[in-house]
Amino acid sequence: MSDRHPVDRRFERRLGRLLITVMYVAVILLLVGVVLMLATGVSPMSGGPGLDPARLVGDVLALAPAGFLWLGLLAVIATPVSRVLGAAVGFIRGGEPLMAAISLAILAVIALGVVVAILAG
Amino acid sequence: MLAGGAAAGAFGSLLGLGGGVLIVPLLTLGFGLDLRAAVGVSLVSVIVTSSAAAGVYLERNVANLRLGMTLELFTALGALGGGLIAFLIEERLLAVLFAALLGYVSLSMVRHGLAAEDGTPPEPPLEPPPDDDPPPGTNGRDLRARAIERLSGDAYTVRRIGTGVAGSVFAGVVSALLGIGGGIIKVPLMHIGMGVPLRVATATSNLIIGVTASASAVIYLLRGEIDPYVAGPVAIGVFVGATAGSRVAHRIDLRVLRGLFVIVLLYTAFQMLLRALG
Repeated sequence: MSDRHPVDRRFERRLGRLLITVMYVAVILLLVGVVLMLATGVSPMSGGPGLDPARLVGDVLALAPAGFLWLGLLAVIATPVSRVLGAAVGFIRGGEPLMAAISLAILAVIALGVVVAILAG
Repeated sequence: MLAGGAAAGAFGSLLGLGGGVLIVPLLTLGFGLDLRAAVGVSLVSVIVTSSAAAGVYLERNVANLRLGMTLELFTALGALGGGLIAFLIEERLLAVLFAALLGYVSLSMVRHGLAAEDGTPPEPPLEPPPDDDPPPGTNGRDLRARAIERLSGDAYTVRRIGTGVAGSVFAGVVSALLGIGGGIIKVPLMHIGMGVPLRVATATSNLIIGVTASASAVIYLLRGEIDPYVAGPVAIGVFVGATAGSRVAHRIDLRVLRGLFVIVLLYTAFQMLLRALG
């Protein structure tokens, strides 16, 4: 059994705060998108546009619901990834090569999913 | 859709389940969405609720970060496989699998409820079962012993790492196929299978769920199976419902709620089976 070091606890608190902060940013973006949907009378069943990174900034500037919704959805999906990234940095700094390798392997698996999904069309 | 998401989030939060178990049937049976599209939306909602909870658990030092990250490597691998298999499986088979999952969850809840009324614990006590791992530090397995020591917490020793790894891969596959968080597999796996206290297992499960769901949500996203006009309102609804549910949990008679929930789940399982049979 191991007593967790105070540094461990601080590290976990920081990661927790990172997770909560990114999640709230994502929820706010989604909320703006939903409010814009209601304001412009867009039905949820009308079939939303697919993700087009080239249009994202333009849609947000034009206050189009899809722009905010896609940004929010991307932030949601990136939230756990940002936590893993933060943990990897912390483990590298803390001199824990095994945990750092595990963190990087998780990121590699997610990246592999992206590559496979793109290749599979 | 907002209201449906809120109801799913509130139910999930009150009963310790993710919203996914209810969101997929809500979107397929209630709104006529394709099952894969519903799974994609459900995964997004699962990330929202689990990440918010995991953040709080980490801040309060309840979750076991090292154990969570070790297991989530394997759930992510399972989720990657499951996310790819999902597009090869016929939708009717997915519906049958989902109905089976709902049946399993219903039976688990009935068992849990009966055990609670009897005053007997629903699960074995925390004293670790006899296991197949040697105690740390014996048989010259120092590296293994050190790893187990690092994965263990202040007041418990993690056991059966192999079981945890295999169960995590399975949980990842199921999560990606059916759009659920998979806490119903991971919590008993850690608690009963690996000797982790229930509270820590629940907190750590939330940590793992986010990454598992992210790994498969990316695949659904890139394959065009996530509709932002559906995912946005449902995710917001689930977030609001889960937050409200956690605040009123102490005021609600969970026996009544559990009974209602079992009826809803069994009815939904029946509807999913009918859908599968055409």
